[in-house]
Amino acid sequence: MPIIRFGIVSLLLCCLVAGCRTSADNRYFGHTEPPPTNVLRYISGPEPETLDPQLPDGQPEARIFMALYEGLVEYGPKDLQPIPALAKSWEISPNVDQFIFHLRNDARWSDNTPITARDFVYSFRRGFAPETISRTAGLGFFVKYSEEFKSGRVFAKKNGEFLLASDEVKESDAFGADTEFHSFIRGADRLTLSGDEKKRGEALAKNPKLAARVEGAEFVPITGADIGVEAIDEYTLRISLKQSAPFFLGLLAHQFFRLVPEHVVEKHGKNWTRAQNIVTNGPFRIREYRPYDALIVEKDPNYWDSANVHLDAIEFYPVEEITTILNLYKAGSIDAMLNHSVPSSWIGEIRGFKDEYMNLPENSTSYYSMNMTKPPFDDVRVRRAFNIGLDHQALSDFRKTTKPLYDMTPAGIFPEYDAARARLSEKVRTDRGVVPEEWSKYNKFDPEKARALLGEAGFPVEKTATGFACPKFPTDRVSITYNTNENNRAVGEFVQSQWKQHLGITVSLKTMEFKAYLPYFKSLEYEGFALFLWSGDYMDPYTFLSLHYGEDNEGASGFYDAKYDAMLDEANAELDVTKRYEKMADAEHYLTERVPVVALTINASNWLKKPYVKGLYPNPGTLLPWKFVYLERDRARWDTDVENIMTAKDERVEKQLADLKATQSP
Amino acid sequence: MLRFVLRRLLIIIPMALLVITLTWALIRLAPGNFYTGDKKLPAAVEATIRAKYGLDKEWYEQYGMMMANIVRGDFGDSLKYPGQTVNEIIARHLPYSATLGILAYLLALLIGLTAGTTAALKQNSSFDYGSMSVAMLGLSVPSFVLGPILVILFSFGLHLFPPARWGGPLSLVLPVLTLSAIYAAYIARLTRAGMLEVMRSDYIRTARAKGLDEKTILLRHALKGGIIPVVSFTGPALAALLAGTVVVEKIYALPGLGDIFIKAVLNRDEPLILGIVAFLSILIMIFNLIVDIAYGYLDPRIRYE
Repeated sequence: MPIIRFGIVSLLLCCLVAGCRTSADNRYFGHTEPPPTNVLRYISGPEPETLDPQLPDGQPEARIFMALYEGLVEYGPKDLQPIPALAKSWEISPNVDQFIFHLRNDARWSDNTPITARDFVYSFRRGFAPETISRTAGLGFFVKYSEEFKSGRVFAKKNGEFLLASDEVKESDAFGADTEFHSFIRGADRLTLSGDEKKRGEALAKNPKLAARVEGAEFVPITGADIGVEAIDEYTLRISLKQSAPFFLGLLAHQFFRLVPEHVVEKHGKNWTRAQNIVTNGPFRIREYRPYDALIVEKDPNYWDSANVHLDAIEFYPVEEITTILNLYKAGSIDAMLNHSVPSSWIGEIRGFKDEYMNLPENSTSYYSMNMTKPPFDDVRVRRAFNIGLDHQALSDFRKTTKPLYDMTPAGIFPEYDAARARLSEKVRTDRGVVPEEWSKYNKFDPEKARALLGEAGFPVEKTATGFACPKFPTDRVSITYNTNENNRAVGEFVQSQWKQHLGITVSLKTMEFKAYLPYFKSLEYEGFALFLWSGDYMDPYTFLSLHYGEDNEGASGFYDAKYDAMLDEANAELDVTKRYEKMADAEHYLTERVPVVALTINASNWLKKPYVKGLYPNPGTLLPWKFVYLERDRARWDTDVENIMTAKDERVEKQLADLKATQSP
Repeated sequence: MLRFVLRRLLIIIPMALLVITLTWALIRLAPGNFYTGDKKLPAAVEATIRAKYGLDKEWYEQYGMMMANIVRGDFGDSLKYPGQTVNEIIARHLPYSATLGILAYLLALLIGLTAGTTAALKQNSSFDYGSMSVAMLGLSVPSFVLGPILVILFSFGLHLFPPARWGGPLSLVLPVLTLSAIYAAYIARLTRAGMLEVMRSDYIRTARAKGLDEKTILLRHALKGGIIPVVSFTGPALAALLAGTVVVEKIYALPGLGDIFIKAVLNRDEPLILGIVAFLSILIMIFNLIVDIAYGYLDPRIRYE
């Protein structure tokens, strides 16, 4: 069949020619010309679940919400540290458990309604209300009585007095204006009980002393009016927490804390986010929304800082297929894309486009949790053996975009914390009397030590003609489980081969569909290893360390240690940043010594932007404050060598940032 | 005839309800639920979700509630996309899939019928071998291979069409080509086989004996019988095309129903899954009915009693 053969050959030739032409004689990847209009075209990933900022927990939504909504503070474009937004300044109480925000008096909703402190009180109350199906409300449970409100709990009132949680007398901690609400919220903690009569009865039956106390009490449901958020006046807001939380200010830029318009939500109910009803308060407002096709937002003239919003509009395209995203980028139909969008098979080529490829470490990690509740992983020696039986550096090189992870918290994201960890590590080294060369290998790849540990644990590793074997190890009961995904499989196969080579143990791979995987993993049904990817919720190491905090924790390795919890509590009560980080480093060391996970990689941002898009940074969460973004038409000013984009100075962005920060005195 | 159609239409209702019941049971048997995600929900939040969607009730109560709503034609709100009703999602995305599907099928019919008939008439000629080989290729090259090849050729090589996204007639060319390839190939082979059989049948010989010219024989007598296999293929094929075609929608980032359906399953978005399944099953049954009616016109031996 010569015709067909000819057809195929010419087809392949065409592809080859087409493929080569664009990459060989061009500095940039594909068509690179700023769009004719002042509009950014951005691939935002999956279709947003809703435009209500308080409900979903996805990052793609978070980026869209950053265009449409604003809260008290906004993420800084490079470091994600909080910068003034609707709050022009703030004060923090000495215990870091109360915050007073001074709001701007010129902020307006997109329908020109003024924004006041009452809008914040409403938004917080709505977010924490039991009927609001928010998946991110848990982040805000530091706000006093918010968790109790969400859970529908009740106060107990007897003889006109509310019963208290303990007899401990609390010192009053005046901070800001003295109001009736403030004396309540800062007063002694009230006793709270389940709002469900049956559950309350069960709890009381178990605790006769408590039952005696509440005997004859009247139960008062906790309402939104009881949570620790108060409008002192039109433009002053006070937030009271139940504990010290030094990272709370940074958390306030999260979508959950962005404002929702009371006058629209109450009028339209669940339909308030429809294009014809929606009212927003961010730098951009909705122009057109075609679900699954495009969400077009335009500069909002009512926005308080609209003079400093550079783009006329942003078009968000929901595309998930990463090769399609790259095709659109190459064709010049889009200007930038969300993170993790370059397929690993393309990275070799894409890496060469140094003015476009954005790949810096993220505030996110991947681990294999080990199920410590099932033998042989109840033995710390076995867990450690698997952790150091893996060459983390080799895994990272194999993955191409990532960096090796050795602990729980990613290195290179929190510089001060890294310094604290280094100091602690040095102290531990001298305490143990280990020489520095030896110490630098501690907790890192060390196959010999790994085999020795397995031997100690009762699973001797024998040398064979072809490598190693560990006949006693129960491989039939152990596997690496992950949710079905090309990348997860690649990592699984790599780790599998490493352990086979260095420990003589072949661990089987088990793949599951995502929704089936989650309960299997989180309820500790798995045996051996299960993949755990974690993106930090805020810019503080605590977002990683809290994974193993508490009895019913997120870590899914069955780890629970009251001492570890106490160490973290102590660290969070510490007000001095350096000392706090030292205490946290201590806690992290305590945790890693117990090896609940096999640390794998620190993930990287891995996306592309055209060099004419300026003010858009590969920050650790790829959370993009859009008002800093502009299109540069002068080729001489285009971004170059974006690996150094974080240190390169962009006068325009720096000035804008400095002006914003000026209202908040340090 | 009328009784036949009425009876078939009436059967659609219990059939659709049965399909919905089975689908519902399958969703409930699958592990995981719509609200689980990467991050663990605080117990308080999970409890409010379960209460809101009635997940804390007995299964038969939930089934009863679901059925009662569906019988009224109300599939409720999507769980993944709160605030959007299932009916509105289907209505919004069906036109995209339908446009794409109908265009692709028309193109496939045009190519397939022409190539198939010509090949049958010129059996064992080089055209026959050539077109049937291309058809074989069309059948064996999946759309996730053909799609990217077309993009490389026509978007990056010749700069004729955009590589993806919905917008203007030009953006439809590549998806329609990709989608129609496999159907064109299938129709060509069906037509050729059908025509070959018919051309050897007695009534064609009779027609020839009567001295009719080849054109009349082909168009008035042979084609009617020859395309019966194509007609029976058209029912389910068109229904599937209308309901969206996942791979092509993904490659070209088109807002059709197919991709939404797959995501609904992955998200355990029960109302949306049930809505699309019900819609799809009714569509298939109606198209099959139309096909059955069409047989009567094409083949005089078929009677509806």
